[in-house]
Amino acid sequence: MNLASLPVELLAGSSLHKIQAQTLPPYSEEAIRFLAEVSSRLLKSPEIREYPDIAGFGYWCRRANLSKLALAFDKKYTRLGRGLAFHIAPANVPVNFAFSFAFGLLAGNANIVRVSSAKHPQATVILRAMQELLELSDHARIRRMTSFVRFPRDDEITKALSGISDARIIWGGDATVNRIRTMKTKARCVDVCFADRYSVSLLGADAICDADAESFSRLIVGFYNDVFLLDQNACSSPHLVLWMGNEENIHSAKARFWDGLSEYLDTKLEEPAIHSVDKFTHLCRTAIWLQPINQNRSQSGRIYRVELEQLPVGIENFRGQHGFFFETTDNDLQMLTAILNARYQTLTYYGLDPQIVTRLVVENGLQGLDRVVPVGMALDISTVWDGYDLIGTLSRLIQKI
Amino acid sequence: MTNLEKYQQAFKETFMVDDDKLANLKYQDIPEWDSVGHMALMASIEEAFNISLEIDDVIDFSSYEYGKSMLSKYNIDI
Repeated sequence: MNLASLPVELLAGSSLHKIQAQTLPPYSEEAIRFLAEVSSRLLKSPEIREYPDIAGFGYWCRRANLSKLALAFDKKYTRLGRGLAFHIAPANVPVNFAFSFAFGLLAGNANIVRVSSAKHPQATVILRAMQELLELSDHARIRRMTSFVRFPRDDEITKALSGISDARIIWGGDATVNRIRTMKTKARCVDVCFADRYSVSLLGADAICDADAESFSRLIVGFYNDVFLLDQNACSSPHLVLWMGNEENIHSAKARFWDGLSEYLDTKLEEPAIHSVDKFTHLCRTAIWLQPINQNRSQSGRIYRVELEQLPVGIENFRGQHGFFFETTDNDLQMLTAILNARYQTLTYYGLDPQIVTRLVVENGLQGLDRVVPVGMALDISTVWDGYDLIGTLSRLIQKI
Repeated sequence: MTNLEKYQQAFKETFMVDDDKLANLKYQDIPEWDSVGHMALMASIEEAFNISLEIDDVIDFSSYEYGKSMLSKYNIDI
């Protein structure tokens, strides 16, 4: 198929047929300079007040952070981008298309990014900043390597773009990944697939009881951000909360933690009524399927908690939204070990040594958990994500002996 | 530009505040210096002095005055 005739809407950068897959080394000065200027523009734009996730992306791609990542990146091999990377961005996280592009560019690739048809306002703001910079002669090289497009879900276009790609970055869950992987690619094309994932939180009761006001408030804000910024829709937002500690402390810690979260939620905008209905329906459903020992609903109805004695295998299929949690006590992490499978992505922790978790995964050879991070960092996406070293995967090694 | 001027400019450009408000300015004193404004300020200071702030310092950076003394850790005298 002729690329020039594909019915896509060009949002920023070059037309599809003008893209040049002339690659760069990872963390090239051209790529860093472009992203750093995007960062400055975004952090100065008034829209970041309304959309903190734009600020989050802008802050991530500031020069100081990219230089730090560049410094930490593998220096053992000579590397170059793979060629043309085709990104199929997700609809559930508005700014991920921008991160995905940045990973592709920092690895040294030319990039075609399919931006979600959901038309998030965040995308409009970020693409406007990028387009203004791409029009400058200073970024001509990057412009020739970049195309942001939008098109309705259309397998013919996706097939045509898959056929010319050297790497595909596929977001959007199991169904999308499986559909797109049936499409033919170049033999050496590398796929990075972001499938459906599930995440948990592990909280130390003693630390929560002992936390001074400031660290407790940080914990609450962090947990709120992890869960509510994306309405518990992100793969890395926790849905299951595991407690460690003695019975008495867990009792007090739960009271302090959930009351604190509920009070913090009261300072935020009221939730749409449909969310409460969804949570209540989900509560009824889970009450039939699982055997909860206790069900709690915070006074305002923002938080629904289902206490379980045992964790059933497949609990990840019961994920709720908008503040719906399962919780249990798991002092030796035996229950977690028994249910961990490849679906499990992030474990956020507070008041515990994260080593106990990584050790557990490694010693038992478990397929689950790719990220063990403090509460508050669940959504902090970077060049290592979902178990992939993205810059490493999206570049090729040039071996010399 | 002196270091002090660079430092003040980062605040003034990020928060649109006047010189006389700077000395006593603290995190969350004004609506502009919230968590989002904090990211913008940190990026602006890093850019102005060509440094990379440690994550703990970003968290601890709680006032105009405190920030000045913190930057001495990065060999920047204000």
